[in-house]
Amino acid sequence: MTLAGIAWRNVHARPSRSVLTLIGIALSVAAVVALTALAWGFEASWQRAADVRGTDAVVTRTASQNALPSPFDAGVSDTVRSLPQVREVAGLLSELMSVNDAPPMFVFGWQAESFLWRHLTLTSGRFPIENGRAEVALGRLAADLLGKRVGETIHVDAEPFVLVGIFDSPALVENGAALMTLAQMQRITDHLDRVNLINVRLNDGSDEITLAQFRAAVAQALPGYLAVTAGDLVQQNVMVRLAQAMSWAVTVLAVLIGGAGVFNTMLMSVFERTREIAILLAVGWRRGRVIRMILLESLVLGLAGGVMGVLLGSLAVEALLWSDMIRGRIDAQITTGLVGYALTVAVALGLVGGVYPAIRASGLKPASALHAD
Amino acid sequence: MMGQSPRIEALGLTCSYDGGRIAALRGLDLSIDAGEFIAIVGPSGCGKSTLLAMLGALEAPQSGTLSFDGRAFPAPHRASAFRARHIGFVFQSFHLLPTLSAAENIEVPMLESTQSQRQRRERARMLLQLVGLDHRSDDRPSMLSGGERQRVAIARALANQPSVLLADEPTGSLDSINAARVMQLFEQLHAELGTTLVVVTHDGKVAGHAQRVVRMQDGRIIADVEHAA
Repeated sequence: MTLAGIAWRNVHARPSRSVLTLIGIALSVAAVVALTALAWGFEASWQRAADVRGTDAVVTRTASQNALPSPFDAGVSDTVRSLPQVREVAGLLSELMSVNDAPPMFVFGWQAESFLWRHLTLTSGRFPIENGRAEVALGRLAADLLGKRVGETIHVDAEPFVLVGIFDSPALVENGAALMTLAQMQRITDHLDRVNLINVRLNDGSDEITLAQFRAAVAQALPGYLAVTAGDLVQQNVMVRLAQAMSWAVTVLAVLIGGAGVFNTMLMSVFERTREIAILLAVGWRRGRVIRMILLESLVLGLAGGVMGVLLGSLAVEALLWSDMIRGRIDAQITTGLVGYALTVAVALGLVGGVYPAIRASGLKPASALHAD
Repeated sequence: MMGQSPRIEALGLTCSYDGGRIAALRGLDLSIDAGEFIAIVGPSGCGKSTLLAMLGALEAPQSGTLSFDGRAFPAPHRASAFRARHIGFVFQSFHLLPTLSAAENIEVPMLESTQSQRQRRERARMLLQLVGLDHRSDDRPSMLSGGERQRVAIARALANQPSVLLADEPTGSLDSINAARVMQLFEQLHAELGTTLVVVTHDGKVAGHAQRVVRMQDGRIIADVEHAA
């Protein structure tokens, strides 16, 4: 018999209350898992998109923190291209737009024949080309969502486009998007000769020194513009920050709500076991051991609820990923890191809820063991 | 083998409750020799249980001194180690943990010792054998009779080889047959282990098993009689 064994038996001895507490904890942790998976997935999706394009750095407006920064003069690309550290440059224009009657979809306008296209694999048809016609390609998931085949017409912001190809990308964001040439995108968004990001490949890959030199060169040659890595851009993205903030808020709420459940359960348990705890003190248990026993009980509840919450949250994420609003936009995954994070939250709420009841139990008078008779 | 029995000295113990309105002990003096079997008797409210709580370092006197082998008792809030090492308690209502088996209940006080899990299990088995319940080691208290529960409680009290065993109305919840068995067990343990045994009781038959009977009334000792062996 160990202290942990005694704690486990005590939790097990009150099944109804323990199960109700576990449900409360599981729901709290599931909310953390689902929202954090979406927040991290949102961030990872954009990071992945930048990675697969082979972008070493991105040039954008200094003040821009939007996921889709405000458009600026496409001529900036020429200045960037002229910098000594630069190997290739590709301007792009992207926006969230309505496509047919589906929920808003990312639409990318990429400079024709730029390096941006190279990581895509056509599954049918061809890519749009600069021929003056309204042509569009769809990512695999977007085509699936819209139920369209090559040769059919789709409407981007009510304007008809011929679907000329369907492609597959290693990045989920692109698989759920529509893709056209930069010129067509500039035309339908009334942003002629404008882009909102310039993707840059440097001469020596992402070497730190080259990158630092490039940043300095951009700061000098293009006041009001900033060169950042794709990772920095994602981190500065106000939508990513918002998602991270919401994830934190839900985590804090989960700890408070779940902790309150554990607190209530453990305090009631201590009240019911006043005599039992007094006996333990009377037979020589130190107060520290009583505290550890109660904390172990609350940790057992927290961890068991946490495991249930991870499973429940994973199911919720799977369900969300099949919804039209999320599908093809956010690559939410239940990673080892996320499971660890959720279980840490579960342990935290167990501790938060168990501390006061544990201290209260340890403060009981052992003499009450005798007086109880 | 129990720890070597010490001498316990109580001098001028006083204790009152309810802001001094109820005096539980009024300047009580008592010496208990090593290895004695003593019964404390008296009517309800005479201060028996309060005295037992003080002898077990569960409560401190408001005045007076208590010494254990010549050294002052520790304060109750720092007395856990003292209780774990020197004192074994037996309660009227057994107070076994309902979620644990008989053997596991006996192991509970041993968690404060340095024994390994295997050693604890082995000692619990040996103690169950001593009280004649080795065949009930895996049974929970709810599956045991009152007499069996009290025997398990006695085994638990012996877990850390205490030098002093304190029993508060140990037969109070038992029928006469089981009460007699429990008292026989106490006598046997006292004889075999040499433990100092202090039994609080209002039952004359129980007191009859002791070597010495201390009679209390209104917080004082009014008689202290040695029984012939």
